[in-house]
Amino acid sequence: MTVSGEFIAFLALALVAIIGGVLLLNLKKVVHMVVALVFTFLSIAGIYVLLSAEFLAVVQILVYSGAISIIMLFGIMLTKHNDEDEGDSKGGGWRKAFLFLGVLAFGAVFYIGIYNLDFGSAPAALHENNPEQIGIELYSKYVIPFELMSVLLLVAFVGAIVLSRNDEKEEADKE
Amino acid sequence: MVQDLLHSSPSLLNFGIFFAMALAFLFVILGFVTYAILAERKVLGFMQGRIGPNHLGGRWGLLQTVADVLKLLVKEDLIPKASDRPMFIIAPVIAFAPAFVVVATIPFTENLQFADLNVGLLYYIAISGITIIGTLMAAWASNNKYSLLGGMRATAQMVSYEIPLVMAGLGIVLLTGSMNLNDIVLAQQESGWFILWQPVAFVVFFIAAMAELYRVPFDLAEAENELVAGFHTEYSGFRWAMFMLAEYVYMFAMSALIIVLFFGGWLPPFEFLSFIPGAVWFGLKFAVVTYVLYWFRATFPRMRPDQLMEFAWKILLPVALANIFLTALLKELLNIF
Repeated sequence: MTVSGEFIAFLALALVAIIGGVLLLNLKKVVHMVVALVFTFLSIAGIYVLLSAEFLAVVQILVYSGAISIIMLFGIMLTKHNDEDEGDSKGGGWRKAFLFLGVLAFGAVFYIGIYNLDFGSAPAALHENNPEQIGIELYSKYVIPFELMSVLLLVAFVGAIVLSRNDEKEEADKE
Repeated sequence: MVQDLLHSSPSLLNFGIFFAMALAFLFVILGFVTYAILAERKVLGFMQGRIGPNHLGGRWGLLQTVADVLKLLVKEDLIPKASDRPMFIIAPVIAFAPAFVVVATIPFTENLQFADLNVGLLYYIAISGITIIGTLMAAWASNNKYSLLGGMRATAQMVSYEIPLVMAGLGIVLLTGSMNLNDIVLAQQESGWFILWQPVAFVVFFIAAMAELYRVPFDLAEAENELVAGFHTEYSGFRWAMFMLAEYVYMFAMSALIIVLFFGGWLPPFEFLSFIPGAVWFGLKFAVVTYVLYWFRATFPRMRPDQLMEFAWKILLPVALANIFLTALLKELLNIF
């Protein structure tokens, strides 16, 4: 296997993504966990760039590390911000053994699933103008799912408004 | 040139070239920031009937900022005892790095551009969003209520004003049919600058950009007299300098983006003036836009936080949406583009 620039970049990004994930599980403070998660999100966006899906990468940064992690940070800072993890629960030897088995099985399944996977040859022109390609696909082949998604979003909006309205009324009643 | 390098096989030489180019560019930007600060102080002085810095480095105080930076660099590195130490250290880095990354996609002239992305505009918006996390981390790690308040204000403001910013940019994307900043500039070669076609979008974009930069009518996230400088109250020395640097680099990037989107990038205003090279035109336009930013700082009062949020959501966003609608109608009915 030749070492290309892409390979080095992939190694670096994958390493950061995995370290971010491990830190997310192992860090003690909640805010630190979210920051570790941000690094994972960013390096996944980097991997999308390597796969020449620039639009997806940018949207990943915009939505995950831009919006979602900030909402999480806000939520943590405004609520139980001094919460710390109480360390590992003890668990018996059996539990650890089962955990190890589970990890092994997961690894084996993925190894078998991925090692000989063949997607066929990828179309060569994917990286050219991919926002335009995505737009054309979205509005010609997948119009109905797309519109249904917008209905779902609308429902979520209305739900959020209804929830916050209820709170206000209850508080007014209390006073 | 960059394209060829990107496709060649990796080697230490290749890495060295990229590293050297990035380093050179970093120093260009540092030079810009040095003189942008001096220019800001000079313009403010001029508007307020003062002289401004005039002692160090000749009559115009040309070395004043250099001396200030040196002072910041040799200052004692203070980390408050009650702060969240690792986050306190990493926050300025996270706030500054995206500011520099963002500049890579901006085309200064036809040949001087580091990354020709086909999602250029969106890339700018997305990457600049990472700075918000740095700000919020700094505010949090300081363990100081003024910092936390300032950080919360800054975050809320950045998140709200990003939306009208994108929506105003969409009008231009509609007209050109591309998010590539090069294509946007080239489209203006035929049709004239987009400020003529998209005046409403320009006003919305400019206001939202001012808010994104924490420039004066919107600087209440770091209002000195109510929040003791907001999210960087506890920072001093070179860590504080990194926040300031990020702010000024964003000013550089945002002014360049405004020029690319609305003022035709490196293109001359009239065809017969095209014997003057593009870099000169870009520089001239850049000087004008940054001057307007200083001018606003000297002449506008600060807004109230509740007004700020209402302004973004109830005025700028509907105006930007109406502009998109109108642009789509014009494009379809009149077939200008």
